[in-house]
Order: sequence, then structure tokens, then C-alpha cells
Amino acid sequence: MAGTLGVKAARIAIVVTMFAVWEMLSRTGIVNPRLLPSASDTLATLWELLQRASVRNDLAVTASEVLTAFVLAVPCGALIGFAIAENRYFAEVVKPLLFFAFSIPKSIFLPMFILVFGVGFSQKVGFGFFSTIFIVIMSTTTAVESVKVDYLTVARSYGATPLQTAFRVYLPSMLPVLLEALRISMIFNLTGVILAEMYASRDGIGHQIATWGENFQMKQLLAGVLMIAVIAMTFNELVRSVETRCSHWRT
Amino acid sequence: MQPLANITPLKPASRAGAIQASHVGQIFKTSTQDVVALSDVSLEVKPGRFVVLVGPSGCGKSTLLMMMAGLRQQTSGTILINDAPIPQPDPNRVGVVFQEPSLFPWLTAEENVEFPLALRGVAKSERRAKAQDALKLVGLEGFGRRHPHELSGGMKQRVSIARGMVQDPPVLLMDEPFAALDEQTRMTMGDELLRIWAATGKTVMFVTHSLTEAVYLADEVLVMSARPGRIVDHLTISLPRPRTYEMLSGDTFGTLRDRIWRHIRKSA
Amino acid sequence: MSISMSPTTLRRLIVISLVMLWEALPRAGVIPELFLPSLSSTIAAGWNEAGEYGHALAVTLYEVAISMVFACGGGILAGAIVGSLPRPRVLIMPMISSIYAVPLVILYPVFTVWLGIGSESKIAFAAIYGFLPTMLSVAAGIQTIDPQLVLAARSMGATLSQRLVRVIIPAAIPTVLSGLRVGGALVIVGVVVSEMLISSAGIGYLISRYRTILDSPHVFAGVLLVLAMAIAFNAAIKWIERKASIWRTGTHAGRSATDDIPAAMQPAT
Repeated sequence: MAGTLGVKAARIAIVVTMFAVWEMLSRTGIVNPRLLPSASDTLATLWELLQRASVRNDLAVTASEVLTAFVLAVPCGALIGFAIAENRYFAEVVKPLLFFAFSIPKSIFLPMFILVFGVGFSQKVGFGFFSTIFIVIMSTTTAVESVKVDYLTVARSYGATPLQTAFRVYLPSMLPVLLEALRISMIFNLTGVILAEMYASRDGIGHQIATWGENFQMKQLLAGVLMIAVIAMTFNELVRSVETRCSHWRT
Repeated sequence: MQPLANITPLKPASRAGAIQASHVGQIFKTSTQDVVALSDVSLEVKPGRFVVLVGPSGCGKSTLLMMMAGLRQQTSGTILINDAPIPQPDPNRVGVVFQEPSLFPWLTAEENVEFPLALRGVAKSERRAKAQDALKLVGLEGFGRRHPHELSGGMKQRVSIARGMVQDPPVLLMDEPFAALDEQTRMTMGDELLRIWAATGKTVMFVTHSLTEAVYLADEVLVMSARPGRIVDHLTISLPRPRTYEMLSGDTFGTLRDRIWRHIRKSA
Repeated sequence: MSISMSPTTLRRLIVISLVMLWEALPRAGVIPELFLPSLSSTIAAGWNEAGEYGHALAVTLYEVAISMVFACGGGILAGAIVGSLPRPRVLIMPMISSIYAVPLVILYPVFTVWLGIGSESKIAFAAIYGFLPTMLSVAAGIQTIDPQLVLAARSMGATLSQRLVRVIIPAAIPTVLSGLRVGGALVIVGVVVSEMLISSAGIGYLISRYRTILDSPHVFAGVLLVLAMAIAFNAAIKWIERKASIWRTGTHAGRSATDDIPAAMQPAT
């Protein structure tokens, strides 16, 4: 539609303008180029970084931590979330505790993870797990509760078995919500793992970025920031487009 | 709420205005096509008359009312309230009551009624007095300090009517004001409205899609066709006033309502 | 389930027993003191170094306060503007929520290079960290203002500025409070995280320093202090929201602003 195309073009224009301004500020020396390497230099460094084995290795380490934490947190969180949605009593006991846990900054517990796990893979996965599980629980609960009771009543009145209800009512109804929950959980997960890496780690891309910062290697630092930003946003948009495709029927 | 006999009218029936619309048209431009909402609508409402505009959904009756209120400009034709055009809202000339009472939840009932006066910088004591009078007129004396969430749907709508009348405009426009209320409240509010109208003598233009409501309330009924809206019939309601519920089951009522329905069904 | 205890009682029992376990298990040696110092030793550590903690708290609170002015103030303003104008909103909002997917901590080293390791870098970072979600939250909330209210005001002849001051702003107060809550919580996270990473003062710095010398009681004392700060802030906002509850019915009919936790709006870590 003409409308959205124009909007997309406008957005691209905004991004391009920002890069142009960045380039100009640095090249003309308005901002010290040592503090702010030009956009073109940064992009060139980014390209070079992607070729480096050490960077690739760091990315792999981070990815493995993120995935492990995710694979652990999602089933656990989903189970708990499901239990909360299905059992009133459990819900009433646990929900306020969950809200509380949700409202406190979890990053302050990072030192504890280091005290327990030391510095390494398990520390980062542990913290990633910790960062993610609460949002998974809440999202699952919301997702299950979002299935309208009316639909379930209709299914029941036509004699649907629990299995049929699970696949024919719960699943399609929850799918968009679940996808969104996964997407947001991943954001929390990635943030947690990268934070843990920046704080205390021997490898991983978060650690590398912190190191570049400590050594005032601005080109690499900005390139690294850009790289992670692009990766995170791409993943986000991919999942979002799948979400939209699945939720066309939602009001 | 006050019984019928004890209400003091805001003013004796002296302030009443005339509404004139000539060849009014309204075209909405969307990105894909032009929608003709109204096509060559002409009508005249004499001062002090209660006129009801009835028509099927989407026929443009609300649009016409918006234009009379100055909230929207017509694309062709003229609209005159008291012989002057109305390019923007003018609460001195026109009071508006919508389907949603739209009371500000952070103000009390009387503060809500005072709102148009506060906009004009009227002094507090004068505002308060006028609001009290308006609330008394709609039968809500003593409810001024309540907040909207403490009021029922019918009461909220009464406050909305009081707000529309607080500046004593000669013309009152009402856009399906009772549509959101349940049937029993609607019937009560209809009687209330007629009482208020009798006490103040204003000109009322009332939009509805309820045929019963139209015949029950009106002096004259204007029937609109489906989009593009045109006036297809103009009935004079010969029933005596005050209107009573017994009339609802009478022959005259039935005939009038059937006539309206035939027009609407034909043009829908 | 056939448990006859009320949920609240059970919950309280759970919390109390957790607290007791916190004291008992480390003392009994079941959990090494390194992993979990007993509650008493934690409190003792904090008490003994109260001056040091107090000073650090002052630094942190200062950074939080300044960051909040930028993050919440800026976020509310930007959110209100973008939320009320359809074109900028459609244009910018999806971009802003895309940025939300990026772990913004990675920006912190950039700020330390530019602004040093003192308070400025933390304020800059925490301000941005809190700004984006606040803006998103307020922009979304502005759209929930009942348009009928504005229409009613227009029909009464209200000018643009009258509509803004007498209708839109009062109707937006629940949204603004919600934005404050979101922004403030995230600012606290941002400040503490940045202090933990690279800093020379503040509670986060204290926590990190004690961690490196494996002094668990002091680490935990610092953690408790941050928790207390977060809880106090939350409670303060809830109190304000309760006081302002009459305004709530202007947007989501009567639903409490704190009952909704739109998942995307909560502290990342």
C-alpha cells in the first residue's frame, strides 16, 4: 500500500540521515575523531572484525550461552507459568511474589552468580537463565489466560477431549502471544548474558566490547556495538514478522 | 430526584432559536475514494420546536448534527443557527449532547456542568449558581458533589444535558443521547427530556435510530434515507402533549411509526 | 487443591521460612558462607560499615535522581508529543521499539570513554536506558485517552490550549505515573549496573569491590541496600498512584495501573 511504502522510505531516510550526520561530525572534526571515529571507518572496522577468528569465536561463545540459557529457562518457566494459570490457589500464593521479583533489578544478583559459579560458562548461563525465567513465567501465564473461556466452553460442549482442546483451541489461540513471549524473553536473555560477560568473563562478545572500551579502541568498540545492535534488531524483526503472519486474526 | 411539579425552569420559554439548512452536502475524502455522506439536505426548524431526525445507520444524521454544532464544516450548502453561520462550536447558541456523556472523570458533577463557563472565565460564584440551576432542572439537585463514576448511566447523561444547557443556548442538539442506556432508563429519560424541554422552551434537534423514540418525543420527524443521506419524508406528529405511554399502543402512533419504517426500509 | 490455608497466609509462611533458612543454612554449614552469608552476618556487615554504605548510597541516589529527570521528564514529554501526533507516531514508534531489542548495556563503555568513570557517564547511560521505555509507555498510554472527552470539550468551544491543559493533561496523569514508574525502575537498574561495571563510587561499585575480595556478607549487604531502594521507589509510586486514583477512570475504566505489567515495559535485568 502506498501508505506503508512511504513510511518505510521515510524511516530509511531517517537512518541514512543519522549516519550522514555521524560521518560529518567526525570527519569535519567537530567531534574529536579519536572519540568518535567516522561512520565509514566504523563500518570498515566492522567488516574487518567479522573476518577475525577471535571475534567469531566470541560470537559463538555468546550464542551458545544465550541458547543454553534459553533452552533451560523456557520449559521451566512455561511449566510454572502454566501451573499458575491453571491452578487458582497456586496463582494466588505465587503471583505477588512474582510481581515482587519482577519489580526488583536482577542485575544486582550478578555478583552472587560469580561467587557461586566462578567466572565461566555456567555463571553466564545461570545469570541468563535467572534473567529470563521470570518473564517466561509471566508471559506463559498471560498467554494461557488469554485463551477466551468462551472458546473453551464451546469446545467442551462439543465433547472435545483435553488433547483436542490443547491442539485445536489453546495452541492456535496462544500462538501469537507465545511468539511474542519468546521474542521478549530472548531480549531479556541476551541482555543478561551480555551483561554477565561485560562484568566478569574471559570470553564472549560482551567481554570483548568491555575490553575494547578499557583500551580506548573506539573503532572496534563502536563497530562491536553496531554489530550487536544489528544482530539483535534483525532477530527481533524476524520473529516479529512471523508473529504478524500468525496473528492476522487477532482483534 | 425531584418530582415533576417542583422543577423551576431555568428561564421562562423565551430563548429559542431557529435552525436552517439549505442544500447541505458532505463528501468525505478517503485515500481510495470519495464518500458522499450527505446529498442536498434542506430543512428548517422553527424556534421552540422539538424535531427528530431518524434514519438507518450510516445515513449521515450524526454528521449533519456535527455540522450544526460547528464541529465539522459542510462541503456544500449553508447552515444557519439563528440566522448566522456556525463555523466553529458556539455554546452560547448551540448546546450539544452526545451519545457518550463524556464527563471528565476527575471533576465532580457540578464541576463538569460548570466546565463551559470555566472555559470562558466566568467567576466562580456565578458558575456555581448556574450549574446548580442546571442540575436542578435535570432533577439532580444534591448530586453535584458526586464524581461521574458514582453516577448511573442515566444520571451521567442528565449531567451531560445539564452541561449542554448551562449557558442557556437557544438550540439544543442531541445525538442519540439515550442509545447507550437500557430500555427502561431510555423511557424514563425520554419523559424527563420532554419535561425539561417544556420548562425551557428551547429548540431541540434530536437524532435517533429508534422509530418509537422519534414518534414519542417529536413535534416533527424528518426521515433520512441511507447514504448518501437525503430527507425523504417530513411528518408532523399530531399526538397531543404531554405525551403518555398509553399513546404508544394507539392507532395514531402505529400509523406514524409504520410510515417512517416504510420509508427507511425502502431506502435502505 | 484441598489445602485449607488462605493463600496469603501460605505466602507469608513461605517468605518467613525462606528468611529463616537464610539464617540457618549458612550457619549450619549446609551452604558455604561464600555462596550465601547468613542474614545476620549480612546485616552486621552493613551495620559495621554504615558510613561507607551511606556515602555510596548518597552517590547512587544522586545519580539516580539526575538520570530520572532526564529519563522520566524527557521520556514523558517525548512520549506525549509522539503519542498525540499520528504521523510522527507511526513513523518513529516501531523504530524505537526495535531499539528496545538491543542490550543497551553495550553502550556503557562508550560513555566511559567519552565521559570518564565518574557520575557523568552513569547519568548519561541511565538516562538513555530509562528514556526509551518511558517514551514507549507514555506514547502508548496517550492513545488510550478517551477521544470523546476531547470532542466534548471542542463542542463546548474549548481552544487548543484549553483542550490540552484542561482535558488531555489531566486525562494523561495515569499514563504519566506509569511512565514514571517504568522509567524510574529502569534508571535505578541503569545506574547500579553501570556502577558495577566501571566506577569509582556508588553502591554498585561497592558491591563489585567486595566481590573481588570474596567478602560475601558485604556484597549481600550492598545488594540488600539496592533492593531496599528499588522497593522504596516502587512503594512511593504506588502511593502516588493510589492518591490519583480518581483520574484512572479517564482511560482504562477503573483498572489499576499497577495490575498491568505489559511485559515489554519492565526492567530488562
